Amino acid sequence: MKRFAFFPGCLIPARHPAMEFAIRHTLPKLGIEAVDLEGASCCPDPIYFKSEDKVAWLTVAARNLTLAEDLDLDIFTNCSGCTATLSETYHLLEDEALRTKVNRRLRHIGREYKGTSKVRHIVTLLRDEVGFEKIRESVVRPLEDVTMAIHYGCHLLKPSKIMKVDDPNDPSVMEHLVEALGAKPVRHRNWYLCCGKACQKADVPANMMHDLLGTVNEEHADILCMICPTCFGQFDHGQMKISKQFGEDFHTPPVYYFQLLAFAQGVPYDKLGFERQRFKPEVLKRFETPDPVAASS
Amino acid sequence: MASTPSDHDDLVRVDFRFRRELAEKVEGNLASFCYQCGACVGDCPAATYSEAFNPREIMLKVLYGLGEEILTDDSILWECTNCYNCHERCPQEVKPVEVIISLKNMLADAGIYPSPVRKVIETFERTGRTVPHNPAIDKQRAKFGLPPLPPVPVDEIRKLIELSPEEENGEDET
Repeated sequence: MKRFAFFPGCLIPARHPAMEFAIRHTLPKLGIEAVDLEGASCCPDPIYFKSEDKVAWLTVAARNLTLAEDLDLDIFTNCSGCTATLSETYHLLEDEALRTKVNRRLRHIGREYKGTSKVRHIVTLLRDEVGFEKIRESVVRPLEDVTMAIHYGCHLLKPSKIMKVDDPNDPSVMEHLVEALGAKPVRHRNWYLCCGKACQKADVPANMMHDLLGTVNEEHADILCMICPTCFGQFDHGQMKISKQFGEDFHTPPVYYFQLLAFAQGVPYDKLGFERQRFKPEVLKRFETPDPVAASS
Repeated sequence: MASTPSDHDDLVRVDFRFRRELAEKVEGNLASFCYQCGACVGDCPAATYSEAFNPREIMLKVLYGLGEEILTDDSILWECTNCYNCHERCPQEVKPVEVIISLKNMLADAGIYPSPVRKVIETFERTGRTVPHNPAIDKQRAKFGLPPLPPVPVDEIRKLIELSPEEENGEDET
């Protein structure tokens, strides 16, 4: 087992426990042990609290990183926002003056940031530590003929020099991950668009989401696959709002990748929390095995 | 012939006091390298969908030191989607989004926030989380065999946030 400190953040554990369950269920099957971090706080978020005070934001993020340093482990996140905060902190604190400033604050709680734990987004663990082939081997029910539109989201990819995940102009990691499930990835025309969550002027993200969901809808994909809980909210509750606002019938069910992986590895449909979604990926039900014992291996 | 300022009312004067104040913020000085090429605009979703938002113009206002045009109660800065395309595209490594966030830090110093933003910040400062703990969350988690949300040492987080510059610099503090 390869060991990594697990930084689950706020949104997934509190709002989307099914996503956390899916991660904790699937990773051990792929040879990854997720080690819990005691005393972690919000990353803090790269939109709101960062806007309040960048130095305080860096300091609290550095505190979270020191928790992984205490365990001598690299740290992985399941949320693109958390990855943005922690990766950027790791990057900015390579600057000695800034690191000294942050460490002066951390000294007040008896901590010191050293920069010894690297930050990893969970998809890079799948790609670089596990490998697509091993994921494919873990799948007991390939999702054949299921088409999945992919939404990469912004913070997974950009800024690429800091995030170090994939090429933001032509990313491939999610396509490979979807293929490993036996499903068919679809790159819709507006694949690069932002989900708009951070923008505080309502009509800007609304028009943006309308265009984005329109192209997803044109592809008639069975599922909209993503890897960020903030994007998920925009595509679930948000998709309903946009449909109402623009009089459209958008209805592509959004699903966080790890729930798809858990399902493909045999976890029954009704154990994955889909009933809480506004748009449910019922297309998956046709893969349900009549005998649940066969599914639990 | 001697000239007085009043002879040149059309002169553009740069407010360096504003620029220096911005430069105090982390990466707030980067706009200095902007040569107004506009690479940030073409790929900016907010600029595409908003009549008013334009990262190149914001950088230009910073260069001129036109702080009072940017730091308003209904600041245009909040139209930024934080997508980081400008950070990716800028040939000068200005990181316009970071300059924008540094400007938001100046807004925060003046106590100006949109109320949804203030709400998230207050929740974080009070609980150490952006989604605070409540019993319904733990009930949902239990359905998936997950333990209750682990506690956050909020006192530590508050201490880090609330340190004054003097305390921060206190070398003898243990």
